[in-house]
Amino acid sequence: MFKYLENQLPKLVMAPTAIAMFVCMYGFIAWTVGLSFTKSRMMPQWDFVGLMQYEKLFANPRWMVALDNLWIFTFLFIVISLFLGLMLAIFLDRNVRAEGALRTIYLYPMAISFVVTGTAWKWILNPGLGIEKLVRDLGFTDFEFRWLVDQDMAIYTIVIAAVWQSSGFVMAMFLAGLRGIDDNLIKAAQIDGASTTRTYWHIILPMMKPVFFGAIVVLSHIAIKSFDLVQALTGGGPGYASDLPANFMYTFAFNRAQMGVGAASAVIMLCGVLAILVPYLYSELRSDKQ
Amino acid sequence: MGAITIQELTKSYGETQVLKGIDLAINDGEFLILVGPSGCGKSTLMNCIAGLEDITSGELFIGDDNVTNVNPKDRDIAMVFQSYALYPTMTVERNIRFGLEMRKYPKAEIDSTVKDVAKLLQIEHLLDRKPSQLSGGQRQRVAMGRALARSPRVFLFDEPLSNLDAKLRVEMRTEIKKLHKRLGTTIVYVTHDQVEAMTLADRIAVMKDGVVQQFGTPYEIYNDPANRFVADFMGSPAMNFIECTVKDGNVIIESGGQHHEVKVPSTQALKSSGLDTVVLGLRPEMITEPKPHSDSGYISQMSLNVLVTEPTGPDTLAFGEWNGQEVQARLSPEVGVKAETEGKVEIQVDTGKAVLFDPKTGARI
Amino acid sequence: MSSMNLRLGRTLIYTLLIGFALIYLAPLYVMLVTSLKDIEEIRSGNLIALPENINFSAWVKAWNSACTGSECEGLAPYFWNSVRIVIPAVLISTIIGACNGYVLAQWQFKGSNMLFGALLFGCFIPFQVILLPMAKLLAWLGLANTVVGLVGVHVVYGITFTTLFFRNYYVAIPNELVRAARLDGAGFFAIFWRIFLPMSTPIFVVTVIWQFTQIWNDFLFGVVYSGPGTQPITVALNNLVNTSVGGKEYNVDMAAAIIAALPTLLVYLVAGKYFVRGLTAGAVKG
Repeated sequence: MFKYLENQLPKLVMAPTAIAMFVCMYGFIAWTVGLSFTKSRMMPQWDFVGLMQYEKLFANPRWMVALDNLWIFTFLFIVISLFLGLMLAIFLDRNVRAEGALRTIYLYPMAISFVVTGTAWKWILNPGLGIEKLVRDLGFTDFEFRWLVDQDMAIYTIVIAAVWQSSGFVMAMFLAGLRGIDDNLIKAAQIDGASTTRTYWHIILPMMKPVFFGAIVVLSHIAIKSFDLVQALTGGGPGYASDLPANFMYTFAFNRAQMGVGAASAVIMLCGVLAILVPYLYSELRSDKQ
Repeated sequence: MGAITIQELTKSYGETQVLKGIDLAINDGEFLILVGPSGCGKSTLMNCIAGLEDITSGELFIGDDNVTNVNPKDRDIAMVFQSYALYPTMTVERNIRFGLEMRKYPKAEIDSTVKDVAKLLQIEHLLDRKPSQLSGGQRQRVAMGRALARSPRVFLFDEPLSNLDAKLRVEMRTEIKKLHKRLGTTIVYVTHDQVEAMTLADRIAVMKDGVVQQFGTPYEIYNDPANRFVADFMGSPAMNFIECTVKDGNVIIESGGQHHEVKVPSTQALKSSGLDTVVLGLRPEMITEPKPHSDSGYISQMSLNVLVTEPTGPDTLAFGEWNGQEVQARLSPEVGVKAETEGKVEIQVDTGKAVLFDPKTGARI
Repeated sequence: MSSMNLRLGRTLIYTLLIGFALIYLAPLYVMLVTSLKDIEEIRSGNLIALPENINFSAWVKAWNSACTGSECEGLAPYFWNSVRIVIPAVLISTIIGACNGYVLAQWQFKGSNMLFGALLFGCFIPFQVILLPMAKLLAWLGLANTVVGLVGVHVVYGITFTTLFFRNYYVAIPNELVRAARLDGAGFFAIFWRIFLPMSTPIFVVTVIWQFTQIWNDFLFGVVYSGPGTQPITVALNNLVNTSVGGKEYNVDMAAAIIAALPTLLVYLVAGKYFVRGLTAGAVKG
């Protein structure tokens, strides 16, 4: 009897987590999915109406703007962060002095919350008193920089702030990857007469493939979840020109009492994450087994 | 006391059965070695004895106690692990004390036990160090000290020497043997190294695919193997296996361009088996240069075309061909040099200890 | 490559590296100088000009009298709200994560790997998909708009990461250690307490820092699940910046932003090594 209890201890210890996980993650996901098929507004109610909420969602111009913004934002955010991160990592890996200090500087924005980042950049990009004024003071009196209040450009301010915050992190991932490469490989390439550029382009970068994938997964994940940055930097504005799906979901579910639409948008977001995650995990697990 | 009886023990992980009905009886104070290639189930069997793995079916006794369902800590056994498994944050002394403290021994007794064990294993000067500050051999000693301190009924050793370099391994091997002589406690020892098995064991259980192939003294295992697998696994250099045709209860060996009809001990069995061909198992030391005074009644003389020789120091292995199959002979170094230069050597073959196997099943005839 | 070219290459590398370092530092610099100016100087000068007189009044105001919506008590009460949320949430999620990791790495049972996979998945889900039902659950438990409720939410969704950290740390430790200890007579908890915990300091530091940063910087849960009296500092900062009672005070905004960022920045400066380790560990698998 005692032995039996003792053998069950590991399961007992895991039990609270397992229950919390199944209720608060999988249960809640199911609840939200279910809700997205009802006509709930203020309060959840369980009259199933099929795909009505999804139809409403995709007929809503605000949601379509948020989706468009998500593509723009995700694409630029990933490409620029990868480029900057990789460049900084390659340069840092070339035996520079004060590497530690430089690394600390590139990475510190990652320790700051998106709300603070948004607040800071909101001020820097302030039309009138921010960069615009700085450049005008330098003598370019006609300089204009009003992206923050420009319908078409507001989403790019979010790209700038997000890149500032996250590219250092991409640098850290690449730097770790570069440090993991066998020195003998680089020596062998040099003996074979390859130039530094060729060595990087043909030997080192192809070996960074897993890091590229890992970074892309993390960055796209950050992008889809981005909420606080938009909230703090543009508030989704002007109008709803810089909304992302996360902001749309929050507004509709909590401020506008349109639970069904909110739930439907959340489900679409989940599907977006899954579309990236499942192939990635699948390939990871497969390479683990090999 | 420390006798171990294993009855019809099986162990399965889901669908796969890794131990398929093990029966072993180990006497009190015996040094038993479980040997076999990796994946043969020897470590699983040891873990079942320790109680670290549950048994699927069968029974296990230590002394007179049925311990099949007893917790590992209540089986009164101690174990030395392959990776030593020393607690990394504790000093050597705390490592040795731990098991005694867990069992709530009085402090004075623990102190004196630790002192005795440290003295016995000559690790007194290491007591204040952490495992990370020790060499491989020192860790090995501490791991043994930790097992010794509890003076259990049975010691289990799980490939304890496999992480040591060759020289240290031989040293520690001798030391373990001395320790066993001195303490007289039952030891079950797992290894994949057949030299370790031969040198240490009172009895050896050779395992393959979850089945005990043979259970016997090192002498029996070496000279009277139960099947081709055991014959092949035990002994270094390995036994020669030559497929031969059978003629009137003798076997035909073609060597150096000539056919020889060679007498073998198990003539009767061979005749009654009705086989046309048979696998002759002969250890290299039975194929030597002619020696004046040996006459087991099974001596044949022949010449061997030598392809290559490998001097090992005390003697030289010569590789030639019998019946178109590779055969190793064990020559004295002087003859070995001659064989290498001339490419040919006169040999005597002693088939007094030859063993015969069925070519299809590998079973002993 | 000639030494001339080599030197040119090195100069280029250093120029780029230092240039980017300045760009990365610029926002922090701008925040700092702005927070030390008075509003006149902000309007007349520019972003990067040093303040003529150093003036801490914006900091004082941000701390105890700036308006965050209808309340005008500065950030101080919200700072302490965040502290009250962060400390228990970090401790509880870390301890649970340590126990879970110990089980998943060293005491595997049938289905434990599947359980781990299911947990791992939780690191990835967009929280929007659980926001609504969690709000219902908190209301039903009477924990809506309370510190306790927020702590609970952070614990539940933080466990996935803490478990991942500890599991990956403990899985590198040979199981023979547990076996040896079991034969020595130690049980499940004794082995955890006496053998595993003493060697877990690094992973505790990594996990605590990770959780601290995550929870301190959280905005989404804060804005959805807190009420007027229980808002964390990120929410208060956002309210402060967006409250336009009597003209924008950029210096107060910046001082408030620095105050909100200070705890995590300090942790980063003191224990950057562990911070990066957590980031990469959390990122590569999470």
